[in-house]
Amino acid sequence: MKIHDIFRPQKEAVISKWIEAVYATYPLETTGFLRTRKDPFTNPVGDMTHEAAGRLFDAVSGEDTDPVTVRQAIDRFVRLRAVQKMTPSQAIGVFFLLKPIMREQLLPLCTGDRARAAYLNAESRLDSIVLLAFDMYTEARETLAESRITEIRSQCAQVVRWAQTVDGSPVSGKS
Amino acid sequence: MAKLPTPHELMASRKDFPAGSWLDVKPEFAPGSFCYPAKVETMERLHMPHPHEWDPAAEDWNLPDNWEKILCDAFEERLEKHRSLKLFMDICVRCGACADKCHFFLGTNDPKNMPVLRAELLRSLYRRDYTMLGKLLGVSVGARGWDKSVVKELFYYAYQCTECRRCSLFCPYGIDTAEITAIVRELLHEVGLGTHWIMDPVKNCSFTGNHLGIQPHSFVEIVEMLADDCETITGIRPKTPFNEKGHEILFITPSGDVFADPGIYTFMGYLLLFHELDLDYTFSTYASEGGNFGSFVSFNMAKKLNAKMYAEAERLGAKWILGGECGHMWRVVNQYMATYNGPAPSCMMDVPTSPITGTRFENAASTKMVHIAEFTADLIRNNKITLDPSRNDHIITTFHDSCNPARAMGLLEEPRYVLKAVCNNFVEMPENTIREQTFCCGSGSGLNTEEIMELRMRAGMPRGNALRYVQQKYDVNHMACVCAIDRATLTPLANYWAPGVTVSGLHELVGNALVMKGEQKRTMDLRQEDLPNVDPDEPEDDAEQGEE
Ligand code: SF4
Ligand code: SF4
Repeated sequence: MKIHDIFRPQKEAVISKWIEAVYATYPLETTGFLRTRKDPFTNPVGDMTHEAAGRLFDAVSGEDTDPVTVRQAIDRFVRLRAVQKMTPSQAIGVFFLLKPIMREQLLPLCTGDRARAAYLNAESRLDSIVLLAFDMYTEARETLAESRITEIRSQCAQVVRWAQTVDGSPVSGKS
Repeated sequence: MAKLPTPHELMASRKDFPAGSWLDVKPEFAPGSFCYPAKVETMERLHMPHPHEWDPAAEDWNLPDNWEKILCDAFEERLEKHRSLKLFMDICVRCGACADKCHFFLGTNDPKNMPVLRAELLRSLYRRDYTMLGKLLGVSVGARGWDKSVVKELFYYAYQCTECRRCSLFCPYGIDTAEITAIVRELLHEVGLGTHWIMDPVKNCSFTGNHLGIQPHSFVEIVEMLADDCETITGIRPKTPFNEKGHEILFITPSGDVFADPGIYTFMGYLLLFHELDLDYTFSTYASEGGNFGSFVSFNMAKKLNAKMYAEAERLGAKWILGGECGHMWRVVNQYMATYNGPAPSCMMDVPTSPITGTRFENAASTKMVHIAEFTADLIRNNKITLDPSRNDHIITTFHDSCNPARAMGLLEEPRYVLKAVCNNFVEMPENTIREQTFCCGSGSGLNTEEIMELRMRAGMPRGNALRYVQQKYDVNHMACVCAIDRATLTPLANYWAPGVTVSGLHELVGNALVMKGEQKRTMDLRQEDLPNVDPDEPEDDAEQGEE
């Protein structure tokens, strides 16, 4: 029996537990809203969490491990967590919340040496996704830092161009 | 020996959240979540109450000794003055319809950013002093007294509301949380608490006329440079009339269009259009700022800065005012100008009328101020300008409704009409994110400062999310808007949430498409980037695409 034959029937149960675990990191008053609203634009955080969850499971189970599609699926989720008020470990470590769920839901089903080895591979794939997400998180933070600089420049870009014509010497910053 | 925390512990699952009620959870002033305080000298020059040194991250904000009395009195005064405020305090039934409509709540997931709870911060104080139950039962009915941590909390959340009014659209009673936020900001100013990003432009506007404090002669030179750029692109140098008396129209736009990228390209669009029409107009260096950061401070400050518009129209003898692409300027003009500084000077015409088409702008009869999108839409409808939309063929654009033009003046169709005339490829974002329901850029009402970029990106997420959707689904690579703050703030927002999407004002695209009499063959757009499908070496006649 292939590992994803063991995993697949558990998909809904595992991802809904992970989604609950993610929501549980937000204040109580927020969670109910995240749970109930379905529209991707009225409840974008719920939508991006669902999108990430489905692909996360597929990647971990080995069904679809293409890094490009994994990146796409977790992109909004990681970008959001990169700007929400949380530590970097809280932002990215949220993927690790899947591990105890896997151990509870999937590990007991993996009997026999081959299935156990395959299960361990699945956990390793989760580790890889966390590392991938870490890169994405860092890129997002760098974009943020660059935006701050670019914005300061843009705000008075034309004033600077003008000032350069006045005495030929470049100036910078806000007057 | 200390133990390594488990991943679960690091993630701070619910168990670590305070068990108490939401009112007991105090905000944490982490860098990136608050704006820098205003400078003492700025506040002094503006005669603001109790200027003092303070640091939002510090424990003690150095409030004046009698701060509690000042705030109680100021609150009472406003309750008397603004009947709406008293109503808003009384009538909320906590139905929760507004709760999930705020982009700050959606992006931060902080319950106090639900509009109902944002208002509750003030309402809890009101309840203690103004309701019988609150006086008797106190905390158990959600009433509380002033203390310094409440002041901090008010500051924190009053500057996490962009006064966008999306929430009020969904409130069955029409409670306008933006007005509540505006009052909270006023109250905080009574004890000397304001932000640098707002007060610095207010000072500059007060003393020199525009946000950056650029002197009149320099302002003119900067505009002339933009006219030079227009000449490079079109071969025609548009006129730049300044402070001239006796013209029919006074044109006022936010100074961001003159100073900032990418606003300047929109300004070049205005210059080219007015030149092509041979419009009888003038700019002013005195009223060189359409924006009004005073409206993010207090009603009095808004009134003071707004006064320049009519004063200058009167001095120059203008018959009506044409207003550029700005957001909050239009809110001030439509909702407050008549009360602040009305009626309009007697030299102005009863109903502003387009000298080109003869259209009477009845909607502007009271303010005497016409929005440029209405003006241009009218020109297009009457076939008064020649356009070649294929010059914008390199973009697939969507349109962001800026909160104020959309919700404070109902300007929904005109910009779309213009956009569709100047661009062949236009795609709407999902319907619950546009028009009246538009999501804010997350940086309005004086929050467009770089030190809170992180906060802005989370608050702007609902807008970014919708933009990203049309980018992925329909290959949208451009977003047009009619607000100077948007032009500045949607740029980093798009770069974060939908990289590859550029942002511009509407009239930049008009300027690109406008076929001018006697222009040279256009090979560049207003940003001086190559136009699509144009071979610069081909002789002009063959490449002429404009319909005469
Ligand atoms: S006015 Fe806008 S920012 Fe303020 S609470 Fe309402 S929706 Fe939120
Ligand atoms: S929608 Fe109106 S009445 Fe309902 S909770 Fe919000 S502010 Fe109160």
